[in-house]
Amino acid sequence: MSHEHDHPHPPGHPAPAPMLPDDTGSQALAEALRSSFAIVKVAMLLMVVAFFSSGFFTVGPSEKAVILRFGNPVGGGQKALLGAGLHWSFPYPIDEVVKIPITEIQKVTSTAGWFATTPEQELSGEELPAGPSLNPAVDGYAVTADRNIIHVRATLNYHIDEPIKYIFDFSSASNSIQDALDNALLCTAAKFKVDDILTRDRAGFQDAVLQRVSELVDQRQLGIAIDNCQVQSIAPRQLKEVFAQVTIARQNQSKQINDANTYKDKTLLAATGQASAITNEAAAVSANYVKYVIADAGAFNDLLPKYVSNPNLFVQQRLVEAMSQALTNVQDEIFFSSRADGKPRELRLMLNREPPAPKTATANP
Amino acid sequence: MKRNTLIVLIGTVLVIITALLLFVFQVRKSEVAVVTTFGRAGQAITNAGPYFKWPKPIQNVYKYDQRIQNFDDKFSECLTADSTMLLTSVYVGWQISDASVFLSTFPGDSSVSLPNAQGKLEGILRTAKSAVIGKHPLSDFVNADAQDLKFSAIEKEIEQEVQVQLSTNNYGIRLQFLGFKKIGLPESVTQTVFDRMKSERQVLISRAENEGKKDAQIIQSTADSEAVRTIANAQAIATGIRAQGEAEAAKTLSTFQQNPELAVFLLRINAWQQSLNQRSTLIFDERYPPFDLFRNLPANTPGRQP
Repeated sequence: MSHEHDHPHPPGHPAPAPMLPDDTGSQALAEALRSSFAIVKVAMLLMVVAFFSSGFFTVGPSEKAVILRFGNPVGGGQKALLGAGLHWSFPYPIDEVVKIPITEIQKVTSTAGWFATTPEQELSGEELPAGPSLNPAVDGYAVTADRNIIHVRATLNYHIDEPIKYIFDFSSASNSIQDALDNALLCTAAKFKVDDILTRDRAGFQDAVLQRVSELVDQRQLGIAIDNCQVQSIAPRQLKEVFAQVTIARQNQSKQINDANTYKDKTLLAATGQASAITNEAAAVSANYVKYVIADAGAFNDLLPKYVSNPNLFVQQRLVEAMSQALTNVQDEIFFSSRADGKPRELRLMLNREPPAPKTATANP
Repeated sequence: MKRNTLIVLIGTVLVIITALLLFVFQVRKSEVAVVTTFGRAGQAITNAGPYFKWPKPIQNVYKYDQRIQNFDDKFSECLTADSTMLLTSVYVGWQISDASVFLSTFPGDSSVSLPNAQGKLEGILRTAKSAVIGKHPLSDFVNADAQDLKFSAIEKEIEQEVQVQLSTNNYGIRLQFLGFKKIGLPESVTQTVFDRMKSERQVLISRAENEGKKDAQIIQSTADSEAVRTIANAQAIATGIRAQGEAEAAKTLSTFQQNPELAVFLLRINAWQQSLNQRSTLIFDERYPPFDLFRNLPANTPGRQP
């Protein structure tokens, strides 16, 4: 353009009159061009600024972002994940931002083994009346080892350990995890008996589910770490009552056994008490008896010389002594003299003492 | 001159950008790309990065999602080896293993070819599933004995069957994993299962009741018999103690044997005295001592008259 500008003033070419309008025209053109160039320059500058500032992007609180540089993720492992906030990357052909809707704690719920229900019904706690059978299209359930039907569901909480695997190896890793959870519930239920799942071994069932999910997750390299797993299992609604009755019957059973054990304790304690009473009494009586006999023997030894010296006197003495002792205790003493004619007197006694056995005695003079 | 340089610079940048757009394409980490030259597919590009290609009419680029895709088949009925109708649904994780083969098998854009491939997969899956399930009785699916439970083995068998089909047909896709998502019984069967479960529960109820009674009775009767035994033992011990006492007492027998007459007399008098401790009536004749005293009195002495 400057070439053109110089052109109108060549040496030796005096500009004639028609040159003037031409010159002003080209001058105006030059002016226009110059100003448009300025605009273009500003526009270019703006474009460059826009180009680089287009590299800014924000990540929301419930999402993460990964920058792909020529298709490859920038950074490895957890570092590849950009958290909430403002970030910058090179604009498109160089870098590309992939946003993933994930939070710190991820959760999947398996309801493949649960009957049809809605969150509102869950909250209000009311259940639709269950029909006599389960429609496989609507109501999910699991079949137990003893071929019973139960409802099971589980919630699995996990966090992402290897985001690159989680994002770039699976089109939907959370779907794969849910599949694994569904499968674990189904497979574990197939191993357990209905009573173990519902009452006897709830914890064992939950552990087995968790173990199976962990195995599947590891096998498939989903790049997650499981935080916990809650399993809920109930008997079919159709059989709720009869299952409750079993529980009550079992409680009654243990109550009966407890009562029997109480009886046993009571009886055995009483028997032990009685037994020691018997032996103690025997020991006491026996000891007394022995003491008494020994005392008697001692007395006998003392009396023997006296008896030997005069047996008759001794006997008389003892008899009279005993008699007088007996007579001092007597309340009523009645004496009868012999009849004047010397005939024997007949005496009749009416005895009425306890026991009231009638008894007569005749005294012969 | 300054302006000239700028023009050249801008021109160059424009040319470079155009050239980049025409000659370079990017493959993301999650993608696999196939470049076709005049319609003929070349090697699949699985590593992410920028790659060179000739512009459109000469070479074309097809990109596919290389990641594992999820897919569940329909909840469908199959007959087990013991003729039980079983409803099953399996989930699979599948993936494009060879993009250039995939492209030739399922031509077109990935929005068309992926559903096509999935449809094929579903067909293969259905055949494999019913074939494998037909080989196993129901006890292989549900069993309390871990040895007999072939749940995982059945899954493996189906997976292998599908894998074989996929590779022999050369679809360019492969299975990464497979498992049961749902297992069920036909609706009419659930009702009979409920009836059976109900009767099983009733058996359990009556068993609990009767077992409770039986156990309680056993405990009580054991306690009773033990109590009786304890007391009998105590009595035996008591008898032993008494016998010991008597044996000890018998040692004094020699003392009494020095004069049996006296011993008997003492015993009799003792017994007599003891019998008088109760309320008793004694009737004596006047001839017996000490009443014989009255007999020998002078005759005019007045006696007591009734």
